[in-house]
Amino acid sequence: MFTKLSDIDRRFRTMDLFRNKIDRLLSDYDRSYLYNPASTLRSNSLKTNLLESGDRFEVQVEVPGISKDDLNIKIQGNYLEISGKRSVETPEGYKKHRNERGSSTFSRSFTLPNDIDAEKVEAALKDGILYLTLPKLETAKPKQITIS
Amino acid sequence: MSDRKEDDAIEKTRDLRTAIPSVDIYENDNEILLYADMPGVKKEDLSINIDNGTLSLSGVRRFENKGVSRWEQFSDIEYARSFSVPQSIEVERVEAALKDGVLKLHLPKSEAAKPKMIKINAA
Repeated sequence: MFTKLSDIDRRFRTMDLFRNKIDRLLSDYDRSYLYNPASTLRSNSLKTNLLESGDRFEVQVEVPGISKDDLNIKIQGNYLEISGKRSVETPEGYKKHRNERGSSTFSRSFTLPNDIDAEKVEAALKDGILYLTLPKLETAKPKQITIS
Repeated sequence: MSDRKEDDAIEKTRDLRTAIPSVDIYENDNEILLYADMPGVKKEDLSINIDNGTLSLSGVRRFENKGVSRWEQFSDIEYARSFSVPQSIEVERVEAALKDGVLKLHLPKSEAAKPKMIKINAA
């Protein structure tokens, strides 16, 4: 009986070991997905952050090497679309050794949790990050209801 | 004992994740030209070192975020990457510019390293 129990115990321990390995593998995989920017614009998917505070949203987008003329932002209701292009060309008279940055066109759309007041949206481009400030529409803001 | 207390007093910065920036590298007769994507890195948080044939780039980006995060696909990070560069780079004349989150680095070759045209004299 005891030997059998210890057998089971040992088997479980092996399972644990295996699971730890898998966990580690997955966490590494996750990390490369989240934090390896080498694939940022290549994969045609923009990396974004969405922050919410009281009456507004802030969207941050990684757009290295893209000028404001090459960015398009569209807002309708609670729908936001960001698209653009980046062109990377070998400079005149230079020989190319390595090309990881790559030209690309990209587009990403979002459905935000609330309607946006499109008139009051502000966009700023700084150090290769696009910052969008999106005020919520008046009707979308929470309202105090008084009980009569 | 007193040593330990001092250690505790040191404010520890949060460990930053490190990422490899994407680069383009070009070369002509006069220089090596390098572009590196480092979105969100400010000029003062970027360091470039050339030492003993190794070029190291490091750029730290930190956000001051206010509000509740609904989703987060990028965050504070350190972009770091090293390259072997020829000893013939003229370190004094290296030029760097940061624009739209892209570092542009000119690495001029020294006179001795430039290719020379050899004239063939007719015998």
